[in-house]
Amino acid sequence: MDPLKDVARIIRSKNAGPTKLTLDVLFDDEAGFRRGVAALDASEVARAFGRDIGAVTVTAYLPAFALKIVMDRPQVAGAPGDRDIYGAQQHGPLLDVMV
Amino acid sequence: MSAFNRLRQSWGGTDHELCVLSASGQLGFGIPQASFVRGLKRKPHVIAADMGSVDPGPVYLGSGKIAAPETLVRSDLRLVLRAALALDVPLLIGSAGTAGANAHLDRVLDILREIAREDALSFQLGVLRSEVPKGDVGAALARGRLRPIGALDLDADGLSQTGAIVGQAGMEPFRRALEGGADVIVAGRACDTAPFAVVPAMLGYPIGPAIHMSKILECTSLCCDPGGRDAMLATLQGDGFILESMNPARAATPVSVAAHALYEQDDPFVIHEPEGAVHLDAAQYVAVDDRRVKVTGARWKPAKQPSVKIEGSRRLGARAVLLAGVADPGFIAASADILRDVENVVRGLLAQQDWTLHARRYGIDGVTDWADMPDPLPREVFLLCECVAPDADTAKLVLAALRQQLLHFGFEGRRATGGNLAFPITPAELDAGDAYAFSVYHILEIDSWDALSTLFPVSIETIGDHT
Repeated sequence: MDPLKDVARIIRSKNAGPTKLTLDVLFDDEAGFRRGVAALDASEVARAFGRDIGAVTVTAYLPAFALKIVMDRPQVAGAPGDRDIYGAQQHGPLLDVMV
Repeated sequence: MSAFNRLRQSWGGTDHELCVLSASGQLGFGIPQASFVRGLKRKPHVIAADMGSVDPGPVYLGSGKIAAPETLVRSDLRLVLRAALALDVPLLIGSAGTAGANAHLDRVLDILREIAREDALSFQLGVLRSEVPKGDVGAALARGRLRPIGALDLDADGLSQTGAIVGQAGMEPFRRALEGGADVIVAGRACDTAPFAVVPAMLGYPIGPAIHMSKILECTSLCCDPGGRDAMLATLQGDGFILESMNPARAATPVSVAAHALYEQDDPFVIHEPEGAVHLDAAQYVAVDDRRVKVTGARWKPAKQPSVKIEGSRRLGARAVLLAGVADPGFIAASADILRDVENVVRGLLAQQDWTLHARRYGIDGVTDWADMPDPLPREVFLLCECVAPDADTAKLVLAALRQQLLHFGFEGRRATGGNLAFPITPAELDAGDAYAFSVYHILEIDSWDALSTLFPVSIETIGDHT
């Protein structure tokens, strides 16, 4: 097992509209992608972000050796208390998940 | 005859190569010139650009302000306008002025008319408006024809407090503007894809690949490795298209392009549009050479009934912020409790006022909801406290009270009795303008295709001594 940051090439987050956050994990090859698929399910992601498992979906996307994670934003983008209006720096909790 | 009509008259069919040049994914933030000029040398048949997004937050839609600096808006507009007129090809710009409400659109149109006057340019200008009447939205809400996207509750009260509401226009109103003789189209809020896809669709290229191409192209060279903001060229032929960055240092590879299908999308397999959806499960990405990719396989499924994504923002009040640093380990360890206790003290002092307070602790959880505290704790922490109140004076009053209570708050084990905060500047409370929140981010179900047409009015205006 290795931390995700040592296995994936890209780990990024961004809004998908103001109500949802999407995280993309891109691997260099199919072997890395398979490791990601095996380890990063909705329950593992929910645990890393302290969210309910029902709030998280994970979709595997083979053409880009990628995993897409989608969750509701804790606040709608730009509302008082929001800390990341573009959602571009929400990938931190994923970096050390073991895959 | 308009640039589009000339193109349509001479067009030989979809087995010919149709070149679409994407000038910018964020018109108004500076178009890299060398790459754009390289794109023009390829003699594109269409130039298109996207100018807006909800990404910068609710303040732009709510206030009518443009996120991009006006100097760059002007120079970018001049660049694409002169290029399109020189090549005699259609120019299509979507989501004018960030949020694409009438205030944004009208400002962009004013700048465009000024440029045309200064440079003695003549053309037919198509103007596409995207504001949705609040009455229509209210009626849809009452009839259950409004679906929230994500967790956003809307009631009649929230709707009445909402400012301009915009709908994301699809290809249909752009089509009307082109049929009406427009050489240049400037649209209010629009789907990112529409300005790129409409000319190929009108020339008979299959809609699935045309929209798939547009979804990738609207971010210019972001789909490349390494990604960037340089102009991007797509060449449609038959049922596929080839992508090529106009910066030779950027390569479109099968993986880099496929990965872009994920970007800012909640579903990598479907692109939703007002008139239908594009399904990408059979999409194929094949290298043409080391920096070009051919894409095929997108399938278009027309909707039974149209639907439009709508956006609205409401003003909450005035915002002020307090800036302060902390370097005391005891304060940092207890900061969550201290901030809660001090807020309660201030609530007691200013109970008659209506305000909200949010503190962010940079170094601990200022950016993300971490599942646990950092270990070890950081040496320094930056505090940014945000207050939203009915007016700016109240917001600053609350923060001044908070600041003074926080500065001298006596917590368990306190050693640094000179004060708990390090101020980088005074006054430490700053006006941060008006505060807004998205109140509408919904799918509006449209009753008929005719109703979709009336939602997005199009007008044609003669600029200069057009003959």
